[in-house]
Amino acid sequence: MTDPESWQPELEELSRREALAEEMGGDEKVSRQHGRGKLDVRQRIEKLVDAGSFHEIGKTAGSATYDEGGNLIAFSPANFVFGRATIDQRPVVIAGDDFTVRGGAADASIAEKQIAAEAMAGELGLPIVRLLDGTGGGGSVKTLDPEHQDGPNGGDGRRLRTYVPANPAWDHVVANLSRVPVVSLCLGPVAGLGAARAVTSHFSVMVKGLSQLFVAGPVVVNRLGGEQVTKESLGGSKVHTRNGAIDVEVTSEDEAFAVARRFLSYLPSRVGELAPRAEPTDDPDRTAPELRATVPRDRRKVYKMRPIIEAVVDEGTFFEMGRFHGRSLITGLARLDGWPVALMAGDSYHYGGGWTTATAQKATRFVDLAETFRLPVVHLVDNPGFVIGSDNEDAAAIRHGSHALAAIYQSTIPWCSVLVRKVFGVAGAGHSNAHRWQYRYAWPSGDWGSLPVEGGVEAAYTRELAASDDPEALLDEITDRLNLVRDPFRTADAFLVEEIIDPACTRPLLCEFANLVAPLRDRDTASSPYRP
Amino acid sequence: MSSPIESPVVGTVWKIETEVGNAVSVGDVVMILESMKMEIPVEAEEAGVIEKIAVNEGDTVSEGDTLATIL
Repeated sequence: MTDPESWQPELEELSRREALAEEMGGDEKVSRQHGRGKLDVRQRIEKLVDAGSFHEIGKTAGSATYDEGGNLIAFSPANFVFGRATIDQRPVVIAGDDFTVRGGAADASIAEKQIAAEAMAGELGLPIVRLLDGTGGGGSVKTLDPEHQDGPNGGDGRRLRTYVPANPAWDHVVANLSRVPVVSLCLGPVAGLGAARAVTSHFSVMVKGLSQLFVAGPVVVNRLGGEQVTKESLGGSKVHTRNGAIDVEVTSEDEAFAVARRFLSYLPSRVGELAPRAEPTDDPDRTAPELRATVPRDRRKVYKMRPIIEAVVDEGTFFEMGRFHGRSLITGLARLDGWPVALMAGDSYHYGGGWTTATAQKATRFVDLAETFRLPVVHLVDNPGFVIGSDNEDAAAIRHGSHALAAIYQSTIPWCSVLVRKVFGVAGAGHSNAHRWQYRYAWPSGDWGSLPVEGGVEAAYTRELAASDDPEALLDEITDRLNLVRDPFRTADAFLVEEIIDPACTRPLLCEFANLVAPLRDRDTASSPYRP
Repeated sequence: MSSPIESPVVGTVWKIETEVGNAVSVGDVVMILESMKMEIPVEAEEAGVIEKIAVNEGDTVSEGDTLATIL
């Protein structure tokens, strides 16, 4: 006999409602989601977080219909699932769109859930991982149609009006960038507000072929008639990992979850906490003799920077971000004797390492990430300067480059530069803040100045060359003369570079740096708020 | 389906190191561009046979231009 005081009936009702929420958009919509090769939001969360760790909030929120007796007769959950969980035993907030309920569109949402997820992450100081799959913003124009008032907020005529747009939760979304790590995984078509949420993050991922990102999709674009696009040509992962909107392209949802976990492993859980050291797995005194012959003696020849990175950081710890954008600068997280660091390095395969507008934008965002989360910077420098020519002028490289220089010169995080090869001009001067004490080494292959000799001779000797009977011979003669003083030892004579090192010993010196500065990481705080 | 080899940089085609019909593996240098006074090798990102070479030595190219196609 049930105790008449018991609340058992309500607990049963709660279980029933929770079970209804777990049905998401219903069998047909969920099958259709799986049929597209996509996981549903609940499967995604299960695969992303530590087993059994997800604690959902607002599970029974949605659109409920009651009969005259007050009994629930129909229920459609809100298309946004969120809560707390752990990743590698560290607490996080997970916020996932449910595409099976009205394609993840905002008109089937309860905006307060999104706001709550972002607010919780900021308030509790927990990283947030967004699983994006939907059409974002204000929803379809159908919401304005009296004939189509079937959304959770429809039916009562409240939506029969337009509104001045305000992005829900945007204050939290923006503030969180300076509070906690924010990761966005695009796991389906992501448009409008969803697209803005995707890139307003520290780390964003697209699954090749499965996710697309755009301000507005192909149907809307093609209607204009100016171009005919597909969702892949308009906003596929190839487009957005090359233009820098998205950091990383992966080939499966499982891989997206793996890179999200890996990114978070290098970071603190919040600003104000220091990133944890991993158990060191590699000898900090390991030398790399092969680095003595990596940089070609011929200045016209390029070389591969990634093997150098791999040789100096803890084995297997380099995690590259933004590989296909601003490619003359390689950026990623790595470990040195277990300590997480932000590593950037010039890639001579792209403009000889010269900076374009894209490179500058990439550098700014990367240095801001390091600054926000107090990750010491290691810069393996090879930068012949800003790329010259009309393309870069047209792209306002000097403005974006100066923006990057400002980020570098404002930064307060410990910083170590290794001058691997070229350091030229205004952009080269951005290899670190020259006015701080220079924690800096140079390889014997170091080559620096205001302008490389081969590029500057014609400009500096215009009159002499014009007056010469044999300008080519004179050009060679002047070049040879100038190249004679192009010798790093002469620079070191004058203490204009502090120390020339054996490249083989780079790793031990960088590990020493990481250990020395680890206690100093929180001496300062970020110089400015992070912007996407 | 043929896939393009795109120019990684703005530059000049300095040397074409392959010809139509040649088999290439990932990492093979198909041509060398000149940019910022340096020789920039362009490598095949997938294996296949060179279907078409879309540029001539001396041509100026922009980032993303198709240099050749691989079948």
